[in-house]
Amino acid sequence: MPIKSATKPVSVNPLKVGQPLGGVLALQGMYRSMPLLHGAQGCSAFSKALLTRHFREPIAVQTSALQEMDVIFDADRNLEEALDHIWSKHHPDVIGVISTALTEVAGVDFQSRVKAFKRERALKDSLLFSISLPDFHGSLETGYSSTVESLMDAVLGLAGGKSPKKQRRTQVNLLPASYLTAGDVMEIKDIIASFGLEVITLPDISTSLSGHLLTGFSPLTRGGTPLDSACQMLESSCTIAIGASMERPARRLTHAAGIPYHLFTGLSGLAASDAFIHFLQKISREPAPVRFRWQRENLLDSMLDAHFYYSGASAVVALEPDHMLSTAAWLEEMGVELKRLITPCSTPALQKTEREVWIGDLDDAEESAQGVDLWISNSHGRKGAPRAGASFVPAGLPVYDELGAHTSVSVGYRGTMEWVNKVGNVLLTERGKGG
Amino acid sequence: MEPAVSNGRLEVSCGKKIPKSTPCPRPVPGEASGGCSFDGAQITLIPIADAAHLVHGPIACLGNSWESRGSLSSGPELSAYGFTTDLGEQDIIFGSEQKLHESIRYIVSRFAPPAVFVYTTCVTALTGEDIEGVCKAESEQLGTPIIPVNSPGFVGSKNLGTRLAGDVLFQHIIGSTEPEQTTSHDINLIGEYNIAGEMWHIERLMQQAGMSILSRITGDGRFREVGWAHRAKANMVVCSRALLGLAVQMERKYGIPYFEGSFYGAKETSYSLRQMAYLTGDRDVERRVDKLAAREEMRLSLELEPYRKQLKGKRAVLYTGGVKSWSVITALQELGIKVVGVGTNKSTAEDVSRIADRIGDDAEYIPEGGARQILKTVRSRKADMVIAGGRNMYMALKEQIPFVDINQERHKAYAGYDGLLSLAKQLVHTLQHPVWELTAKLAPWEEETEFAD
Ligand code: SF4
Repeated sequence: MPIKSATKPVSVNPLKVGQPLGGVLALQGMYRSMPLLHGAQGCSAFSKALLTRHFREPIAVQTSALQEMDVIFDADRNLEEALDHIWSKHHPDVIGVISTALTEVAGVDFQSRVKAFKRERALKDSLLFSISLPDFHGSLETGYSSTVESLMDAVLGLAGGKSPKKQRRTQVNLLPASYLTAGDVMEIKDIIASFGLEVITLPDISTSLSGHLLTGFSPLTRGGTPLDSACQMLESSCTIAIGASMERPARRLTHAAGIPYHLFTGLSGLAASDAFIHFLQKISREPAPVRFRWQRENLLDSMLDAHFYYSGASAVVALEPDHMLSTAAWLEEMGVELKRLITPCSTPALQKTEREVWIGDLDDAEESAQGVDLWISNSHGRKGAPRAGASFVPAGLPVYDELGAHTSVSVGYRGTMEWVNKVGNVLLTERGKGG
Repeated sequence: MEPAVSNGRLEVSCGKKIPKSTPCPRPVPGEASGGCSFDGAQITLIPIADAAHLVHGPIACLGNSWESRGSLSSGPELSAYGFTTDLGEQDIIFGSEQKLHESIRYIVSRFAPPAVFVYTTCVTALTGEDIEGVCKAESEQLGTPIIPVNSPGFVGSKNLGTRLAGDVLFQHIIGSTEPEQTTSHDINLIGEYNIAGEMWHIERLMQQAGMSILSRITGDGRFREVGWAHRAKANMVVCSRALLGLAVQMERKYGIPYFEGSFYGAKETSYSLRQMAYLTGDRDVERRVDKLAAREEMRLSLELEPYRKQLKGKRAVLYTGGVKSWSVITALQELGIKVVGVGTNKSTAEDVSRIADRIGDDAEYIPEGGARQILKTVRSRKADMVIAGGRNMYMALKEQIPFVDINQERHKAYAGYDGLLSLAKQLVHTLQHPVWELTAKLAPWEEETEFAD
């Protein structure tokens, strides 16, 4: 299906965020890490504020704090200073230097600066890497997956490019996409573990942004994947990538260490959940735990209970690419007519889908949502949805006007059931009002 | 600036000096916090509710920031729309002036706003786009004011952006329209952004005393009304030093006297109302303010009674990012709370001396350092709570320290007499919440358990 896009010269009520935000998010899932945005300080302040609002957790991020003259004369000096500062003060395990539109346009060669810093300081047991993420490409999802890819590279580099000594048959890698909530990642880990498999997740926001009291405040991330676990990924028997955007980082591991990967474009809906459980059964050579039999029946029963309210319903879905596709999948199972699917940027996965997809903003959503029952997007849709007469269900990022969005579960039988009920309740209430 | 009292007479502003832009200290790479100048400019101008605000740059500047403030509008919602040219790589290589032209035309033809503000960002400033030229050409072409806001993020701090936005208001807008009618009791409020509807409280108080707001700059403001601000009798700068320059410029050009005040706490509220009344030069209004203040303070003190009892002697660390510190201190003191630590980053020398007037050497001054320093102060000074902006909220929660949000993102109004009561209630409810005890306890099964044989 062709990808379409609106023809406005200007973006009205954007759905898109900057790629560096995705990079900052990915690094929250690494233990004791610090993302460093190479740019002017506003970019990091906005990223921090946005993620803080969404996750209701402190967010680790720093900036090289470029000012006008630094950009013109010597952006490297600031970068060096920032690295110095972060290094000497906090000794993080991971520092990811992320460029912004400003440093990309200024054309500073920060990557070699980062390498030099690494050499000079002989940073051995920690990971310092850089990644180019200009805001004028892509969106959250691409920024996140590119960062995971670079992180993977850096981990491979740390492991010295050697093939692993041993392989553990029961150990698997999990690469979760950017749209998966902390609750989702926890649920997926749990499902995998229930087959007797050990799972190493990268990045793992389920232990850093799900909310825990632990040992108090730290400027670095608390929770997330420890660096030595990340290095052990090379010994795993396979990699499970969730979301098409995670295919490239997964492929890295295949190329470097010969670890096969399996891609699941989404884990929401009956079919997707079935495929996942079936797959786990095969690789673990263990029967599916009985609780999935129950969960599957619970889901089917909920779908039956809810189908009255979903019948004939139509929806506009405006989310990041992978998220949009997985949401579309379960909505289709519930018989919802997808009036329009909108996403902020094009990705290879979209080229392959059968569905018609629009690259656009929330204003396009508003236009196409006239007379539609349901509007699913991030919190920025809260005002547009009622103007279009649609019921609003927040999803994606940011969701700042609902508690627990970041820990809600939408994957597997249980997560799907949760969403079938949640959206079903909205339809039940709203469609009952007449019409 | 509190007017100096000499010979028993109030000496109001003199318009002699525009507050010196003390060269902002360079932010420390790797330890910087706070927003950029673009952010500051937005904060100041976006509350003009009927205007369109177009951000010229790649997506991050608007995409990551819109709808993050709590300024409320009583009518038009256009300024809540996010407009951006969302530049792609091609635009940056080949230039984006054409795109800017088209974007402006699109917005004007579809939304017919009274004006469009066009914000420069780091990238479009770096590539040297002629944004002023485009705005000028389109203003003439369309007959709608298209106003360039030249405050890209990399020129400095948020405060600088606010100041630059003040210049924009002065140069392009104020004096451009005429009010239908004026009275001798017209006041402008400058730097009041109507967070959580605070301005509406103040407006009601002013009305009760026989005064009115001529131009709201800019909380719940309208573009045209900002244009006629030059016809006011007086300006009040609402605890925002960054916009003081605007008031000074208005005094010079239009002879409008100004004063700096706040609405946090009953004392400051009464003081501000008295000051306004004085500047209107109407004895009758002054008398009405006196009565109003006496009545409200009396009522408030009765209603506050039970809360005061519970707050008395409590210790707080206040970290508001500077501008509001001194006024909030007064409010807290009225509730019997002892401020044992206060953030002075971004405070000017005058702010600091005002803080010192109120708390002397009894408190720790926290010049910078954010979370880490705040925590240190909480521990060393045995504070019971932190009062700060949302940025530091989760830091406090992680340490299980009661927290009250005082900044832009909050949903409660704390201004005026009723505001102080709300603040008192909020503080008491926060401090006494059962959650603090619950989180402090271990699960019973985590404690040593004796197993039965
Ligand atoms: S620092 Fe520059 S690029 Fe970053 S948000 Fe501010 S204006 Fe935009």
